[in-house]
Amino acid sequence: MHAVDTPPTRATGAPGGPGGPGSTRPGARRRKRRNPESSRLPWLLAAPALLLLAALLAYPMGRMVVLSFQNMQLRELWSGAAPPWVGLDQYTKVLGDSVFWAVVGRTVLFTVVSVTLTVLIGLMIALLMRRVHKAVRMAMIVAMMFVWALPALVQAQAFKMMTDSNIGVLNYLIDKLPGVEFQNHSWFFTPAQGWIVITACVLWAGIPFLAITLNAGLTQVPKELLEAATVDGANAWQSFRNITIPILKPLLVIVTTLSVIWNFGLFTQNWVLRDGKPEPEFQTLATYSYLQAFAQNKYSLGSAIAVITVILLLGAMAVYIRQMFKIGEVD
Amino acid sequence: MKRKIAVAAALAASMLAAAACSSSSGGDGGTVSADKTVDGKGKTIKVWLMVDAQSGWKSVVDDASKRFTDATGANVTVEYQQWANVLTKLDASLAGTDVPDVVELGNTQFSKYVDAGAFAEVKKDTFENSATWLPGLSGACEVDGKTFCVPYYAGARVLIYRKDLFEKAGITAAPKTYEDFLAAADKVQAANKDPKFGAVYMPGRYWYAAMSWVKASGGDIAKKEGDKWVGQLSSPASQEGLNKWVELVKKYSKADVTKDEADQYLVFSQANAGMFYGNGWELGSAEQVRKDPNDPNSALVDTKVKGKLAAAPMPGIPSLLGGSNVGVPVKSQNTELAAQWIKHFTDSTSMKGLIKASALPNATALLDAAATDNPALAVGAEAAKNSWAVPASGKWADVEKASVLQNMLSDILTGKKSVADAAKAADEQIAATLNG
Repeated sequence: MHAVDTPPTRATGAPGGPGGPGSTRPGARRRKRRNPESSRLPWLLAAPALLLLAALLAYPMGRMVVLSFQNMQLRELWSGAAPPWVGLDQYTKVLGDSVFWAVVGRTVLFTVVSVTLTVLIGLMIALLMRRVHKAVRMAMIVAMMFVWALPALVQAQAFKMMTDSNIGVLNYLIDKLPGVEFQNHSWFFTPAQGWIVITACVLWAGIPFLAITLNAGLTQVPKELLEAATVDGANAWQSFRNITIPILKPLLVIVTTLSVIWNFGLFTQNWVLRDGKPEPEFQTLATYSYLQAFAQNKYSLGSAIAVITVILLLGAMAVYIRQMFKIGEVD
Repeated sequence: MKRKIAVAAALAASMLAAAACSSSSGGDGGTVSADKTVDGKGKTIKVWLMVDAQSGWKSVVDDASKRFTDATGANVTVEYQQWANVLTKLDASLAGTDVPDVVELGNTQFSKYVDAGAFAEVKKDTFENSATWLPGLSGACEVDGKTFCVPYYAGARVLIYRKDLFEKAGITAAPKTYEDFLAAADKVQAANKDPKFGAVYMPGRYWYAAMSWVKASGGDIAKKEGDKWVGQLSSPASQEGLNKWVELVKKYSKADVTKDEADQYLVFSQANAGMFYGNGWELGSAEQVRKDPNDPNSALVDTKVKGKLAAAPMPGIPSLLGGSNVGVPVKSQNTELAAQWIKHFTDSTSMKGLIKASALPNATALLDAAATDNPALAVGAEAAKNSWAVPASGKWADVEKASVLQNMLSDILTGKKSVADAAKAADEQIAATLNG
């Protein structure tokens, strides 16, 4: 038992050990060199990017927040007249609506399930890629690059055609199985099956990025550590759990964070698969907000929902974001 | 700030346009008239038509545009729109300055935009056949004796069936009563044992059909009581109609209950059903499809049901008078030219082309001629005389966009709710939307 316990301390210590004192030293150096000129330079260098972000993100975000405290409808949109201020009315309307909370619950559930699956399968494929022959690995990367390069809209459209009840290839193939009656099967008859299709579409599109990124991360796991662990008698699962995962952790945190952000904002897949008219049980926060704003012309209500969505996402991400800052400090 | 600049720019642009060509800035006190000669040399107007025109009667559009260009010297760009997002797109365009000059919308969608003052008033008697426009179409255009759009075409839904399968099942004539229709469905179903085969193709989210069954039983969608709208779907008569329709779907249809009618002619052309309820022109669409669906100019290809289809009025079921109108947005900078284009596009010559393509013309005066010119239209012309309309409210389009009726039907057919519960929930949503 003791022999097994040693590698983890060495493993977690390995990046932290030399990194620990190393990180204080440049930090001290930085503090010493802090004069007006060098503190302005980073800002100057970042200025173009910051300006671009401000123009592309801050302005629309700001407009959205302002809009959520007003009551903007078609008349104001067309005439350009200033919409009346209504204070927190839109927010009380949204927060008091049981339909909204059902949508929130559904979106959260989908995010948890889809992100867990994406990360797990992505990690498994990445591990597989370390094991296979170089040519096979190349083929896998190329195949996944193709998937990755496909726009979400096209992917969703392809899934829609494949799962079409009348002309879909999926029903056709399942029906070929002996004793299975699957002709005209509607995949969106029950919410559970419908969400399986939507989740499959999201996973298919999301996994390549994770697998390729994590594969790159896995190349950074020192072979000596793993060899040492094997010598010390650790089995595959133990070395994975105690060596690979700790080293991969910063990367895992980042890709998980990104997946949460992407999947929480699910729009394209359920929108396209439900033909632009998702039933209530296929609504997510993004489609719900869009429909309120652009189908019902309640632009302010839609903005309020979008603002709440951002706040919810930030709340859920707080843990991850803190983790990311910590990683930054260690480096 | 940005908005102010945009508005200023728009103002400046429209003033420039007015200065450059005085004839293009409004006619009789803001009313756009189509009986003037307009010199549009060097100008191009932008026309938004729905895809139906592209797939069904593109030659009529091209011909009208050509005659318009000959008369005015102006060019035309026609942009074909999808039903799924045309309103969203229009809202966004009207907020900006680059607005289309002519816009087609469904007759059930127009009221909302007329109510909101989005369309310019037109001088009714400068358009051909305006004295006998179909009331089901022009109703959405006319407010307090003023006219804001021009009827374009109508469609009445009819029964389209497989002649060959009817013969095979020993049926000699099209059904004359609803009972005949059900008996025919029984026979056709019995004669075709394929598990994929359904005697009637009826997708579950086809609300135009379900509401026609509701109307047939004496029910209604909503009624105005005093100054409030009250949903009527949970009334006994409406529920009876809903139940009748649901029974039909469950017994004879193999269609996906989570689909709407958008692709029904395509599915029907796979030869897996005996009948469907559709617009007259869907008969032609089911018999022939474009070789390349993305290229409206590609060759027509015969489908499996080519030459095997016939149409008849749906017995005992009044049809929703569907159709479209065209109007000129107030923000258009070429209102006079736009009116000229509409004049050509809705005149008797164009209507003759529409009749050939099996769409109903925009005026009652042309209905009888249509029936003799195109026998396939006789059925639709007959159905158009026995038709109903959606609640006359400027907010009706919002009910459609919220998919209230489709969701109600899905809830019933997937077993999520009983007919009574689903109808009650829909009533509440409809009342909240129409009174909101």
